[in-house]
Amino acid sequence: MTDKEIKNSNTSQNTQNTESALPIHETPRGNVMVIAEQILGELQPVTLELLGAGRLLTDKLGTKLVCLLLGHNMAETTKKLIQYGADIVYVADHPELHTYRTLPFRRVVCDFLESLSEPPHVTLLGSTTTGRDLAPRIAAHFETGLTADCTELDIGPYEHKSKIDPSKLGLYPDCLYAIRPSFGESLKARILGPWKNPQMATTRPGVMIPLRADPNRQGEIITVPVNLKPEDFRLNVAETVREIASALKLTEADVIISGGFGLGTPEGFALLRELASCFPNSAIGASRKVVDLGWIPYEHQVGQTGKTVRPKLYIACGISGAIQHRVGMSKSSTIIAINKDPDAPIFKFAHYGIVGDVYQIIPEMIKQLKCVEKEQGEKTIVHSH
Amino acid sequence: MSSSNPKDIFVLVKQVPDQGSKAGLNPDGTIDRARAKRMLNPFDRYALQAALHTKKAYGGRVTCISMGPPPAVEVLLEALEHGVDRGVLLSDKRLAASDTLATAYALYKTILYCGHFDLIFCGLQTTDGDTAQVGPQLAERLNLPQVTYCEDFSLEGDKVKARRIIEGGCQHIISDMPILITVANSYHPLEYKSFRGTWKVQWLQRHPEDLKKVITTVDLDTVGADPEKCGLKGSPTIVAHTEKVGEIGGNCKMFEGQAISDMVVNIIEKSNVKEYLKIS
Repeated sequence: MTDKEIKNSNTSQNTQNTESALPIHETPRGNVMVIAEQILGELQPVTLELLGAGRLLTDKLGTKLVCLLLGHNMAETTKKLIQYGADIVYVADHPELHTYRTLPFRRVVCDFLESLSEPPHVTLLGSTTTGRDLAPRIAAHFETGLTADCTELDIGPYEHKSKIDPSKLGLYPDCLYAIRPSFGESLKARILGPWKNPQMATTRPGVMIPLRADPNRQGEIITVPVNLKPEDFRLNVAETVREIASALKLTEADVIISGGFGLGTPEGFALLRELASCFPNSAIGASRKVVDLGWIPYEHQVGQTGKTVRPKLYIACGISGAIQHRVGMSKSSTIIAINKDPDAPIFKFAHYGIVGDVYQIIPEMIKQLKCVEKEQGEKTIVHSH
Repeated sequence: MSSSNPKDIFVLVKQVPDQGSKAGLNPDGTIDRARAKRMLNPFDRYALQAALHTKKAYGGRVTCISMGPPPAVEVLLEALEHGVDRGVLLSDKRLAASDTLATAYALYKTILYCGHFDLIFCGLQTTDGDTAQVGPQLAERLNLPQVTYCEDFSLEGDKVKARRIIEGGCQHIISDMPILITVANSYHPLEYKSFRGTWKVQWLQRHPEDLKKVITTVDLDTVGADPEKCGLKGSPTIVAHTEKVGEIGGNCKMFEGQAISDMVVNIIEKSNVKEYLKIS
């Protein structure tokens, strides 16, 4: 990727005398489109986050924020999308769209985009199992650019000086800046694809901030035709299983208690669960090593080959903090590390560290937290009188 | 195991820089691909296991396909040691700086060149790009159904049954073949290299003429790919700007060598742990 930059800067020196003659590529400013995500009718939080991010882009472009919703009997959801910022909600309602399947969803989205006289300027999806399944199909169909897992989005100008493709030379005034971490999060890359609309991006869940719901917000609702073909049913979903919410989703937890090889045994996670029970909105995380050892299922894995999380509080117990783990949790607001080894890499980026035995420290922590909890509880009761 | 015919199984792998090793890291944090230690993309190990399992359980032939500069042949040799039947490396200077769309196009042409297939397995994503886009983009080019985040599957007759991870649950899928599957790392880890495979690779390395028959290297012309759709020219995205992200944290408040209870008191007082407690 850096090769390109070098090429860009080299050619820019050679073309300085012609710079004033660079053409301006004034593309019509299209709308910003968010593709909503629902699982069995339940709207996913990332959609509201995308509407929040999309609103900022829309206001810069001076166009409209539109949302495409695919599902069945979604009237309530439609209202919610407007309350959270959509100017227009396009609804594709069909019984076959109740459960997400790549091919029917891809068909409806592609048909819809083709039906528009002007493609959206920007199209956004979540970096979820659905968004990462669907977005590349759409991008490949329209041969347009797609940037995965963005952490920031913006609109701004770009001057293309590389002469490799002379038709692309010039100034692009309203590009989507898709900003994402790269190279194990040591770099932030700004990725652009201004040559063709829609400029597409997916954003990580939990990163963008939704607007406050406004029940008085007005918006338009437009029905989208659904024309599925037999070949869209080559793949079928026999069943969608949702686990009971008792085990909170890692990416949505405020507090994550995470365990690594330093726990010594799989039974260590029982202790972590006890600590987690002190916090209402908490979940259990794990390093790759212990997942590979079968101590805990994969859905708990945090890191490069697992989930990326950014809770308010991350307590790492017996985790050394290799780069592969770090990239999945380094954006947590507060990181507390407990490890026997004072030289463990985790102490280089944790905010608070305790050097010691997890099996001595955590029981003590649970004991003290329960006391604090009790005090706080008493105070609340006193205040309420 | 009622499955009828032996399957033509393709598996896509990529050689990536080893981010765990400090060698080959530029001062600005980018990777110097020429100097970096190279490895098989860790996610691809699960795809390789899925392909080899399919061959073992249902019969067939495994073709391992990769795209990259000439040293990428190393990952094809590694795949041979694990038991794949043949390797195809797409290598061409005109592919430099390809983004995911251009990569998917080049691989699409390579797959058509490789002939008939029933199943294509890919890793979920790579560790150097982290996009998870090439698999579905390739499926779109090939007009195939796809299962991403697949953590288990079986073949029943001419159907594939698969379990796909979704947020807080899973989907049970039944699909026709041919199909493209990206394999999650909750699938079975890659088994040890086979003695036969290791022996075969050792023998092939002493017999370069035979090696060429087992691992074919092809370029854009061989597979009939349009160079305009590859490399920088065929890529709709560019990296316009990069900036180094400062080390996070860096000034860890350490508690060490005191009595356990004192250290815990300190950490509860100094950090904001209390804010997130359950208020009974």
